[in-house]
Amino acid sequence: MHTLGIDIGSASSKAVILGDNGEVAGQAVVPVGTGTTGPERALHEALRLAGIAPGDVARTVATGYGRVTWQGADRQVSEITCHARGVLHRMPEARTIIDIGGQDVKAIEVDPDRGFVRNFVMNDKCAAGTGRFLEVMARVLGLEVERLAEVSETSARTVSISSICTVFAESEVISHLSRGEPVPDVLAGIHQSVAKRVAGLVSRLGVRPPVVLTGGVAKNRGVVLALEKELRTEIRIAPSCQLTGALGAALIAREDLSKK
Amino acid sequence: MSGNVTSKQLLDHYARKVYADAAAAKAVGKPVGWSTAIVPQEFFETMDLPLVYPENHSAVISARKRALGFLERAEGYGYHADVCGYMRVNFGYLLEGARGDDDVPPAPVPDFVVCCNNYCTMIVKWYENLAKELGVPLFMIDMPYNPEGAVDEARVRYIRAQFDRLVGRLEDLTGRPFDRERFRRVMEISRENARLWKRAFELVGHVPSPANGFDFYNYLTLMVFMRGRAETTEVLRLWIREMEGKIARGEGPFRDAAEKFRIMFDGIACWPQLAHTAKAFRSYGINITGSNYPDGWAVQYETGDLDGMARAYASIANNMSLEKAVEKRVEIIRQGRCDGAVYHMNRSCKVMDFTTYEAQRRVFAETGVPYITFDGDQADPRVFVAAQFDTRIQALVEMMEAREESER
Amino acid sequence: MSGENRIRAILTGLAAVAARPGEAAERLKREKGKPLVGVLPYYAPEEIVHAAGMLPVGVWGGTADASMAGHYFPPFACPLVKSTLDLALRGVYDGLAAMIVPALCESLTFFGQNFRAARPGIPFVPVVHPQNRRTPEGVAYLRAEYERVRDRLAEIAGREVTAADLDRAIGVFNDHRRAMRAFLEEAPRHPSLVSPRVRHAVAKSAYYMDKADHGALVGELTGLLKSLPEESGAGKRVVVTGIMAEPEGLLDLFEEVGLEISADDLAQESRAFRTDVPDGGDPLERLARRWSLVEGCSLAFDPGKERNRILLDLVRNSGARGLVVLMIQFCDPEEMDYPLYRKELDAAGVPVLHLEVEPRMSLEQARTRLQSFAEMI
Repeated sequence: MHTLGIDIGSASSKAVILGDNGEVAGQAVVPVGTGTTGPERALHEALRLAGIAPGDVARTVATGYGRVTWQGADRQVSEITCHARGVLHRMPEARTIIDIGGQDVKAIEVDPDRGFVRNFVMNDKCAAGTGRFLEVMARVLGLEVERLAEVSETSARTVSISSICTVFAESEVISHLSRGEPVPDVLAGIHQSVAKRVAGLVSRLGVRPPVVLTGGVAKNRGVVLALEKELRTEIRIAPSCQLTGALGAALIAREDLSKK
Repeated sequence: MSGNVTSKQLLDHYARKVYADAAAAKAVGKPVGWSTAIVPQEFFETMDLPLVYPENHSAVISARKRALGFLERAEGYGYHADVCGYMRVNFGYLLEGARGDDDVPPAPVPDFVVCCNNYCTMIVKWYENLAKELGVPLFMIDMPYNPEGAVDEARVRYIRAQFDRLVGRLEDLTGRPFDRERFRRVMEISRENARLWKRAFELVGHVPSPANGFDFYNYLTLMVFMRGRAETTEVLRLWIREMEGKIARGEGPFRDAAEKFRIMFDGIACWPQLAHTAKAFRSYGINITGSNYPDGWAVQYETGDLDGMARAYASIANNMSLEKAVEKRVEIIRQGRCDGAVYHMNRSCKVMDFTTYEAQRRVFAETGVPYITFDGDQADPRVFVAAQFDTRIQALVEMMEAREESER
Repeated sequence: MSGENRIRAILTGLAAVAARPGEAAERLKREKGKPLVGVLPYYAPEEIVHAAGMLPVGVWGGTADASMAGHYFPPFACPLVKSTLDLALRGVYDGLAAMIVPALCESLTFFGQNFRAARPGIPFVPVVHPQNRRTPEGVAYLRAEYERVRDRLAEIAGREVTAADLDRAIGVFNDHRRAMRAFLEEAPRHPSLVSPRVRHAVAKSAYYMDKADHGALVGELTGLLKSLPEESGAGKRVVVTGIMAEPEGLLDLFEEVGLEISADDLAQESRAFRTDVPDGGDPLERLARRWSLVEGCSLAFDPGKERNRILLDLVRNSGARGLVVLMIQFCDPEEMDYPLYRKELDAAGVPVLHLEVEPRMSLEQARTRLQSFAEMI
């Protein structure tokens, strides 16, 4: 009895297939999101890895920004609920989940006793603190996003950025570089900026350790270290950090079946 | 006092002393209050109740670049970044344990709070929350807004009744009777200080000005904290003598440069970026010779005239109509003999910002003096954008130069 | 007509008024042959307008892109006053006999000043409520303000406004408030007939109709609803708090994700109907005393922060599972109350969703939050 969870974001599509035993049989990430071929491609790649045909999927749950318009799910559940489920499946000790996505940031307080999500906060109004912010800055610095963590390791100090707005922060970074500030130091400031923004959001929720980080930006060690500093607590990275939403959706699909 | 001490030194001494005195009073179990900035201090001075002013406290913290941590703390607690930065810094300070350090003056946790809303409504909510969170009494002295630009009889009666009620409550709080003779003396001193404050402004308007940059924003501390005290009279008289001396010697505001342009700075200072803004002004030889902001503390009334006192406190510029706001700015530009105006669109202060656009247009129509507006904040360092400020000041200088040229 | 059909007919009529308030106001003016007086929020003495033989209409802004307001306001004034000023600049209010503007917050106070500058041809009638509203001097002060309002309106209407006129008007408005309270209490028992959007329309339409007419319709509606059995709701009940339930698309989302509104603490709705004008002698004094009885509103001086307790009671007594905060952008009073009542509700284990709202917000993002909240409670 296979179930499929599909997480259709604005910038990427993720799919997870759970097998008979409830373990992950196949998973895929495609870097394009809702309104593109992304969801279908992610779906087919996951099926291929699981070695099953579409008809073998007993139930599908969709989540993410594109969940409402995508045809092919039996039901749709919010990404808050799905991320919480996905993280707790692998890390049942988690109490605060922070998801830094391409275009939004969420913090979720989980409470397994009462049914997973106890509280949540989201910032989806501006790019500051999200993956988009890092993309913009990476371009200014002439680096690939994947290299940001490595480059920031050599920084001697942090060149702070005061603007909360991405557009003005970009100007600040450019002016720092033109004044000859070393790239790693400016990068440290960029990471601090993301961390401050995220920490500001999380503190409205209240930080309850253990804190788990999910989402693509979790792969950037520089941000993780800066965030640990701002929140004054250890941060654990969820395995397959981009796929926790889809995993949660697949788990919920599996639960739906067992209730029937 | 030694004869060689300057008014600046005295100012610094008292600015520190007010906090030390409040902490000392608290330590011996005397009730200490927190108050809004243009409160009828006469009543509290008469009852010997020390007041600390969180707006001043937050301004000092912001000028010393320590605001961010407190802002973040308050925002983590649930306060939106939209609300007044002074308020957020103040709550952050409380949440962090109300501890002073080298930069942060040690404002003790208050035993009572006083709110007089003669310049905004945000402070009413601020003080509601303080009273509730700290579990202390709130003395609310309500001075309703004057939409038609005059304090009518109904308002005066209402404020007078509140004054009477306040006296009763202060007697209950302290267990002491209200000393009417002392009250008269305090009023007399306050009246003299207001007169001296106005006189100082007149002198600042001299060409060249004997005061520089944000000087009177600094001396403002005295008028906020000690408006009813003889010490303030002493410092103001000294400052006035110093300025008269400079005028007699033909000295300008800057030691090493000429006073090229004079501007009205409209609004509260951008405290987190005081150095940057002051430096930018200096680099063009710009001096600030007028501002609507410190003028608010020139609370003038006749000794013993409580109706007059009620009217004076209720007539602070922020509490009056758009027309009155325009009148005041025109008066300031003329007294300051200003060549230009810089309006601080202070994100934290909606009262000062919401009629700025219309006021600017009218003031310009009446005075012909070029102006610019810049975005900043009295406490939050994240709002100001240096590049924007620098570009706009340069544009203003170009406008002032062009006007000078055309008048030649 | 069967009971249910009559219910639907009434609701359809009220929804039409709420959907096009400007047209409804024009129709009102034509049908009654009386001048209209615009009334800005909150707690303005509408009774005096009625007593002067004129019709009060609510002014709550619109969803228009408020670009013209930028001539007077920087971006961080609340959407209500910005869009109202924008509409004023476009001449939408030029037919009004007067505009009554309270000064309960920075946005309203300076809206008044800017409005007067922008539209000097429309008589501007400010009213400034006291903070110390529970003291005799506060009531006396407000009575004097109301007297001034009465004199201005009498002048505009070209007639005297007697104590008897005022007493009658108070009676009409108190009856109306009672009718609204009865409806709002009955509504949660019939979610299939009274969805969140319909509930809102019943409240909103009150601002664009004659109070006696609206009250009569609502009274009839409530009676008919009471004759139907209570539905065993499948939805999850929540209390809504804030200034207003706009944009209305949000209310559709409530329904979509299975949230039912058991009670509200909205300034446009229940807060406007909760407090009656008390009995007494002099009607102006009675009107002034109403302000001293208002409780739990961010705009009414509340040093004991009674709102915390009131919200908690509202959630418990209405059988709600949680509170949804519709935080209108740039609203200082509401933003200042939030952390305190949030703390108290958190301590009591009541789930709270904070939603920042403004006219051009993305409903997609709101859907995610509302859905997550519904899944959570």
